[in-house]
Amino acid sequence: MTGDNSPILKVESLHKKFGDLHVLRGIDLTVNKGDAICLVGSSGSGKSTLLRCINFMEHPTAGKITIDGEVVGRESGTFESAPVYQYKERELIKVRTHVGMVFQQFNLFPHMTVLANVMEGLIQVRKLGKEKAHEIARSNLQRVELWEKAEQYPSRLSGGQQQRVAIARALAMEPDIMLFDEVTSSLDPELVGEVLKSIQDLSKAGMTMVVVTHELGFAYHVAKRVLFLHDGIIHEEGTPDEVLKHPGKERTKAFLAGFTDFNF
Amino acid sequence: MIEFEWNFGILVPYWGNFLRGAIVTIELSVIVIFASLLGGIVVGMARYSSNKWLNLPATVFVEIFRNTPVFVQIVWFFYAFPVLIGVQMEGFVAAILGVGLNMTAYTSEIYRAGIQSIHKGQWEAAKAVGMPYMRTMRRIILPQAIRRMIPAFANRIIEGAKATALASAIAVGELLHEGELLAQALYRPLEIYTVIAVLFFVLIYPLALWSYWLERRLRTDEKVTL
Repeated sequence: MTGDNSPILKVESLHKKFGDLHVLRGIDLTVNKGDAICLVGSSGSGKSTLLRCINFMEHPTAGKITIDGEVVGRESGTFESAPVYQYKERELIKVRTHVGMVFQQFNLFPHMTVLANVMEGLIQVRKLGKEKAHEIARSNLQRVELWEKAEQYPSRLSGGQQQRVAIARALAMEPDIMLFDEVTSSLDPELVGEVLKSIQDLSKAGMTMVVVTHELGFAYHVAKRVLFLHDGIIHEEGTPDEVLKHPGKERTKAFLAGFTDFNF
Repeated sequence: MIEFEWNFGILVPYWGNFLRGAIVTIELSVIVIFASLLGGIVVGMARYSSNKWLNLPATVFVEIFRNTPVFVQIVWFFYAFPVLIGVQMEGFVAAILGVGLNMTAYTSEIYRAGIQSIHKGQWEAAKAVGMPYMRTMRRIILPQAIRRMIPAFANRIIEGAKATALASAIAVGELLHEGELLAQALYRPLEIYTVIAVLFFVLIYPLALWSYWLERRLRTDEKVTL
């Protein structure tokens, strides 16, 4: 286990290429226990790719990722002076149990009830007994205020409710860090609030998280640090007040100017 | 028009021959259908796999059996096996191999297409909670994919049941072959083949009804759970 001051996640010189497209060009990021970090930036800036590299949905082209003090993978060369690592799927499966992820499209399992969605990982991956899994699923569904929907199928739920179930499903695995990938982007505007509130509550309860979001108001109120990504690098970072209210760089200012309607 | 007097009465004493043939047709069909539904999963997953040691043999298998006539396959198994492995193959077994492997090639393509039709977000969600590949396939992907495959399987099953008639060519005593034997003995081909056609229809039409029913049920289900 990590002490309160050691980072839960450390990313060094992260590069990611898709063919010739160089999406991430050397990212450094340290996340400490209890941190809420928001990644903002225009689409194509690489923020989702960064998040997906952290739990190895995408394999980094180069860069060192340390989770809970353990370096993931085996060093096997260099790329643009950054170390290249090789990964074994078995190792990544283990890493992913420490890192929870919530997706833009919810990705609930449509053939399973809400309760079964949350219990699936507990039984199949953590190998818990049915009773124990049920207990954990229940407390996490209560946490997102959806226990009364436990026996429903996902298609009967609103988008906001589905996303909260997805949050409960990730939380149930008791991860050390949660990743949120534009989790409100496919929701109707009136449903965004309930999901953001669930995430805010989690942060208040001390959950470590990295959040990719277009909700700058949310980033302003919840984030401890805000990172503005542009063109595959962290262009500007600091407190929400520094980055969102008093940006120092032109790119950041130009990006923020596009948001005329957010209220802090 | 040729003067012809229909006389089905003449066939009544031979009802046992028709029954015997129908039983063999049912046996062949049931074995071939179940074998291909099971075998198809394995071949289909191998076709879907990005591992070339799985993908390549599966692709070769599918292409060979899809692109040669099933009739040729049955005859080939019947005549080739004594030469290849020195064992005289019973017609029944050769027919099962021919029709069964041909069917497997088709059902495996249904599985592959069904697996591919599942949104990649489902794979990612399972991955994100730490589920390994095969467990994701079994718990998350196949249960959803198979629902979508059912109408295609129903068609395939009907095709398979009909294809068993080709086994008559190697003297397997299924329905058509029993009819041929009777036709040669009684010189009443028209009545006999009419009865054969009706019997095939009676055996196979319930499968078609079942497929309509399944499709209707899946349509309403889809609204609720997918």
